[in-house]
Amino acid sequence: MKTNLNFSDHDAFYEQLLAAHEGLAEADSARLNARLILLLANQVGDQQVLADCIAAARSPFGDAPAGPG
Amino acid sequence: MSTPLQTAGYELPVYPFVAPPELAGERIEKAARRYPVVIIGAGLCGLAAACDFASRGIRAVVLDDDDTIGVRGASSRGIVYAQKTLEIMDRLGLYDKLRAKGVTWSVGKTLAGNDVVYEFDASAQSASRQPPFINLQQFYLEWFLVDRITEIGNTDLRWKNKVIGFEQFDDYARIEVETPAGNYALEAAWVMDCSGVNSLVRDTLKLDTHPARGIDRWCISDVRFKAPLPIERWTWVEAPFNDNRAVWQHLMADDVWRLDFQMDPGCDTEYVSRLDVAAERVRRQVGDDVEFELVWVGPYSYRSQLLDEFRVGRTFFLGDSAHVMSPFGARGGNSAIQDADNLCWKLALVLAGEAPASLLDTYHAERRPAAQFNIMTTRRTSRFLSPESPQEKIFRDAAISLAREYPFARHLVNTGRLSTAFAYTDSPLCDGSGGESHDETAGIALARGAVAQNAPITLPDGKPGVLADLFRDAPACVGLWLGPQQTSAADAIRYANQSAPRLRMVELGTVARGSKGQGPGGRRGHSAIADPEGRLAKALGWDGRTSVFVLLRPDMHLAAALPDPTIAAIRRAYARARGQSL
Repeated sequence: MKTNLNFSDHDAFYEQLLAAHEGLAEADSARLNARLILLLANQVGDQQVLADCIAAARSPFGDAPAGPG
Repeated sequence: MSTPLQTAGYELPVYPFVAPPELAGERIEKAARRYPVVIIGAGLCGLAAACDFASRGIRAVVLDDDDTIGVRGASSRGIVYAQKTLEIMDRLGLYDKLRAKGVTWSVGKTLAGNDVVYEFDASAQSASRQPPFINLQQFYLEWFLVDRITEIGNTDLRWKNKVIGFEQFDDYARIEVETPAGNYALEAAWVMDCSGVNSLVRDTLKLDTHPARGIDRWCISDVRFKAPLPIERWTWVEAPFNDNRAVWQHLMADDVWRLDFQMDPGCDTEYVSRLDVAAERVRRQVGDDVEFELVWVGPYSYRSQLLDEFRVGRTFFLGDSAHVMSPFGARGGNSAIQDADNLCWKLALVLAGEAPASLLDTYHAERRPAAQFNIMTTRRTSRFLSPESPQEKIFRDAAISLAREYPFARHLVNTGRLSTAFAYTDSPLCDGSGGESHDETAGIALARGAVAQNAPITLPDGKPGVLADLFRDAPACVGLWLGPQQTSAADAIRYANQSAPRLRMVELGTVARGSKGQGPGGRRGHSAIADPEGRLAKALGWDGRTSVFVLLRPDMHLAAALPDPTIAAIRRAYARARGQSL
């Protein structure tokens, strides 16, 4: 997982992310986020990197439950 | 041999009860007889095991509490038999019957509303003589297995023999049996518990199955009708005709369709499986113009079970007695048959004194990870089909909406990942460590522990056949020489002839296509095959150039792939594949 800057234009990304949510009800914002996560995840592709990102995002809220098996 | 018994839509055979030798004499025997192998349960798993033993010349005793195949009144169980199962049935000699009766298919489609959001054709990847899938009511496969077992004539099949007591000791188990002619006891050097989800042996041994149940409810309706529908597996994640819940549509033999409806989790299961209610549901799906007949209707819910140990003392647990999973992907029946396929050759070698008893522990080492994988895979599907929170529903909607636009997202739509043979990558029998010139992957893409598909080949006698034909007379392993003849091959073949007669050596690559094969130089135990369609090369992922020695186990999983091996390396790989210490 990359933790140093990798954006080609970080401020533009952040602005577009906010703009994409403008005028949406909370439920539609959640739908947009879900679509965006899946699209971005496919760009990353590598399962270990994705797992590291999920763990990092989850970390303020305690560990995720262990998978079955 | 059988009198028809009328059930819901099918006539099943009835097998006669014959008093076992323990009860047939004038006096009931006091000392229990001891048998090498006793199989409890004549379901898919127990019958596959019995047939496998029969084909290896081992006479197993099979105890079953019923006198027919299937479960009375419950015609609906497994319907999809995947390629590895079909290949096993080819080796056991009943594949042609299965193919003639069943429905061959390879295309699956997943729909949301009226749109196809995911589609596959499993035949594209196949090098096997067998198709990816054949659909068939489970009892038909059991029926064919009984017929084949009877034909081989080397199995002690005991109908109406109900196991009522079990105890095991260091070197045998004692089983108490109830029959119409009275009760008796027998002893078994080894027991294979194939008795299904309610196992008396397992409960007697007080083994924890770690049961888990899902809240989702389904209702199967097996329906007979003729309609010009494609012979494909169709699954709806959201079916407009089922209140936007999931539906399965699958054809099996006798024009019977398996329609499986996802219900509201809070539904009254008795109400939803009422025949008039089920008929109304089917009517909404097939439309007003199609006449149909309900064959069987029954509700079910998700559940899983998994034993900690698949071998306990003298007892092995196979199929549902060891592991239970949700039906998605047809993993229950297919994995049960692969359990039998994994254990029978090992037990046969141990009984013949050709392998140490420790080989039997690798049944657990190889098949429990397979069961864990199956349970994990079916849970992933069930979670996609039944989102457990509003957020999970949001992600599912996102996946489906993206799938309508982008190819990548179609793969996230999960209505079941169909059963494939599990690769025993971490098995001690396939461990590539500890030898010189061990490059397990050189020239071969197939991972060690993975299964080689049943490719069509030209047999040593010049006739067309399949890879499984090389295993038909139960060799301990098959060694395949691929590529140009190597300097070490002649010595290795001499080694096999002299000190490893049960290692069948076969050579590919020096024989002209379609030519009559005789082993080069007429060497005994070594013969030439041809690969006229290139499908053996495809099955192994062979690059077609590298000289490599491939060692296949009796279950056709890859034990080792050794480029230009020494005799010592072959000897080590052959010993390892049979669990012998090096």
